[in-house]
Amino acid sequence: MGVAGFIAKRIALYFAVLFIALSITFLLPRLMPVNPVDTYIGELQSRASSTLDPEGIAELRENLESLYGLKGSLFEQYISYLDRVIFHFDFGPSFTYFPHPVSDMLANAIPWTMGLLLTATIIAWLLGNAVGLVAGYFYKKRAATILEFVGILLYPIPYYILAITVLMLFAYIFPIFPLSATFPVGEMTLQKAWMIFYNSLLPGLALVLAGFGWNILSMKALAIATSEEPYVTFARLKGTSDMTRMVRYVFRNALLPQVTALALSLGLIFNGALLTEIIFSYPGIGLIMRQAASGGDYNVLYGAIAVSIFAVATAALVIDLTYPLLDPRIRHR
Amino acid sequence: MTRLGSYLAAPLLGLTLATSAVAQGAMTDVGTPRSETLIVQTFDGRTSNPSQMNPLNRYAHWRGFRELGWSYLWEMDTATGESYPEMADGFPEVLNDDYTKFRVKIRPGIYWSDGEEFTVDDMIYTIETAFKYRDQLTNVTNYVTFLESWEKIDDYTIEVETINSSYDFVTRFGVYTWGSHIVWLPEHVFAPLGDEVVSYQNNDPVLLGPYTIKEYDPNGFWQLWERREDWERSGWGNLGEPMPKYILYKDFGTEETRSLAFVQNQYDIDTFMSPDTIEAAQARNPAIETFSPVFPFHDMNDACGWGVYFNNQIEPYNIRELRWALALSLDLEQVGITALNGQFKPTALPVADTPVTRPIFHEPMRDFLDGLTLADGYKPFDNQFNQKLVETLKAEGVDPAKLPEGDGIVDAFGYGWWKYDPAQAEKLLASVGIEKGDDGFYQMPDGSPLVLEFAYPADWNKILQRLGFSMADSWRQAGFNVQGRQVDNGEFNTNMRTNARFQMTIAWNQQCVFNANWRNNWRQWTPQFVLPADSTDADQRLDGNYARIIDERIFDLVEQGATIPTDAPEMADLGRQIQEIVVEEMYMLPLMSIPTTIPTNSTYWTGYPKQDNFYALPYTWWSSFKQTVVNIEPTGR
Repeated sequence: MGVAGFIAKRIALYFAVLFIALSITFLLPRLMPVNPVDTYIGELQSRASSTLDPEGIAELRENLESLYGLKGSLFEQYISYLDRVIFHFDFGPSFTYFPHPVSDMLANAIPWTMGLLLTATIIAWLLGNAVGLVAGYFYKKRAATILEFVGILLYPIPYYILAITVLMLFAYIFPIFPLSATFPVGEMTLQKAWMIFYNSLLPGLALVLAGFGWNILSMKALAIATSEEPYVTFARLKGTSDMTRMVRYVFRNALLPQVTALALSLGLIFNGALLTEIIFSYPGIGLIMRQAASGGDYNVLYGAIAVSIFAVATAALVIDLTYPLLDPRIRHR
Repeated sequence: MTRLGSYLAAPLLGLTLATSAVAQGAMTDVGTPRSETLIVQTFDGRTSNPSQMNPLNRYAHWRGFRELGWSYLWEMDTATGESYPEMADGFPEVLNDDYTKFRVKIRPGIYWSDGEEFTVDDMIYTIETAFKYRDQLTNVTNYVTFLESWEKIDDYTIEVETINSSYDFVTRFGVYTWGSHIVWLPEHVFAPLGDEVVSYQNNDPVLLGPYTIKEYDPNGFWQLWERREDWERSGWGNLGEPMPKYILYKDFGTEETRSLAFVQNQYDIDTFMSPDTIEAAQARNPAIETFSPVFPFHDMNDACGWGVYFNNQIEPYNIRELRWALALSLDLEQVGITALNGQFKPTALPVADTPVTRPIFHEPMRDFLDGLTLADGYKPFDNQFNQKLVETLKAEGVDPAKLPEGDGIVDAFGYGWWKYDPAQAEKLLASVGIEKGDDGFYQMPDGSPLVLEFAYPADWNKILQRLGFSMADSWRQAGFNVQGRQVDNGEFNTNMRTNARFQMTIAWNQQCVFNANWRNNWRQWTPQFVLPADSTDADQRLDGNYARIIDERIFDLVEQGATIPTDAPEMADLGRQIQEIVVEEMYMLPLMSIPTTIPTNSTYWTGYPKQDNFYALPYTWWSSFKQTVVNIEPTGR
């Protein structure tokens, strides 16, 4: 199969995945035992001290179903959904915060999620792989054992425990950072940028520590295996230095699976980091999804999940298309 | 310490102290002087739509709008349970015997925050807008299901006609408790918008209250209010000077972070912190106080109580003996100690036991409860429950100085509850053919397992979660195969509304009677809110009467209540008659008052409402907060 054929086939698969995933996404919230209209009517009744009569509630229910686009058969709603999402990228209004557009909510939340998770993911990947490479290449040295121990120590700790520990250490016992973020409002200034950075350090640190351990362990294992390859032995016999062998021979060849993992991780950042957002009061898409799932806000769920699907599918496509550039063996094949 | 160690420790210590100072320092995170800012944990957490402040659509009204921003014709005095005029000039004049026509006068000299005077034109505009766009707006049902017609008489006088007789006109056109039925809009701001009013965000709102919004977080975590210069001209400026220049509503996150922030004096009033977290915080910061220094420590005067609701329309919950057996098999003393550290106030009536409701319902019904007898002559009420609870708490090591004595025991722990008597429960069940099988669990008369599904909140309501878990365990120990199911908020709602799903749950919405006006809550006990027992969420939803009351006697009493002024003695008497039937039949199992765990921090502000300084309920999301705001004083720190 030529290159053009490979690319065409891969892109066709990409669109097929998107279509199927979006269709499944439409159905999933409908299967939840939650109804968005019920949630709001319950809230209204509570505020009205249950003085709403049945006729009034029936009228409200009718109005809400119409405003929320829940009228018509499931198939009609599905077609309307596909049309809006695929051709207009419009997820409609939030049910919970009607008539606030879902796209506005996501547009507000995604930069925060991307900023924090992108940075934390890349730092954890770079640091973890660097440490893992050294630990794997020099695996017979005692220092390598210590480095591996760091990974073993961090990796199994549940994220919640890690995050709370970080919070208590650096926001309570040594109150260097705030317990909950307070981001300034208004136009972006240097001061505001600094405050955002400052308030993001603690959640970022927790995320880096959480991802750090796995990267160390996985890169160490890959580095050990790659170090035993004949071409590495040949390079050593040729007289190349340890640094050259470690970086140009071992790291480059051990890197491929880690690149795949990184690409998929970057795609997954659009799921948000729910626990991080909850524990550190950080605005992001995770908390929005959680609230939407709890309240049956279908449109917000569609929007958030669709963004995540798009990101992960695109990441996978990019990996598939760029892999041949990284690995000559695949290019030849 | 070595010299190197000193060089490292000194800056670290300095940094710690410096940042500690910042943590509780002179300025708040939003740039206001801490000594002039009252900081409150939001009731409903973070909102995802903070810029939406148009009360015609759904919005996060519990971040100051209800207490500080809007104003109402009549408010509720939470200390007495009596309505009082806020913007209205006195109480409405009733114009006909049917109680459907009313003349309302408003006080001249009330001004919006932009300097325009509040007049009847604003009221007319609000009502007409609600009706005109009723199918495009999501928050106007209160208006359109209540009013029939309206007429301006002059700038300060309006006459309205209601659809039905409205003996509770003051609380429906004004306020009952935390709810705010009708919010008045500034005509001069909204009218020029025309049809755009349905999507107008109103995120720089013109307000009637003594505070305006200075700033808000576009991410929905906080909202900052600033006192108006002309606060005396606001809707409730006549209450007194609001003391804090700024009030910040902020979501401090999970209980873990909130407790740490509270200890660090980062805020002043919390909302529904768990009892043990409060104790832990108090151990680290003596400025943190509960409502009372003795048991049950927290305010127990919420309008609502918690109870177990059964699906009285389906088997086996339609068996009276089963419901009574469940009541007698619940060791509420142990459940209350396990789930709430003993900090609870039980009640056997479907009305919370408060200083307002006690003289109306609880005191007059003591003889009824004491004399209540089941078919076999058994008297189920234990009027020594409160005393026994005190003894048990002493035996478990609670400091006697923190326990009430004498008359204080009844004030703290109520008049009593049902006896814990699984043996009697077993007798009751045997009388209807329900007996224990070889596995120790009860079985139906035909030998099939008696499995009871008990749905209760998950961690969105931590205290109810703990309570539900403990109750399920207590029942299981008594031989009931109770399947406890923790459900998320949305599912909890849908479950309660769907006959085919619902079996039994723990909730509060059928027990929200704040004063003699029981109709405000129990008007939903009508045949209109009864659906077929097998109705599903696909075809029909129940939007009221979640206790599934289907007793005609109760329906008749409720209907009679619609024709009596709410302050008439007959009204209270009808309320007592309704409760007698509910209790005799055990249509629901009331448990306790809602423990409103609202700790305060007296580092920066003092004078909060407390048991020994009771001028209002301690809630920050009711009218009571208006009283708090004019009564507290800065400490000067």
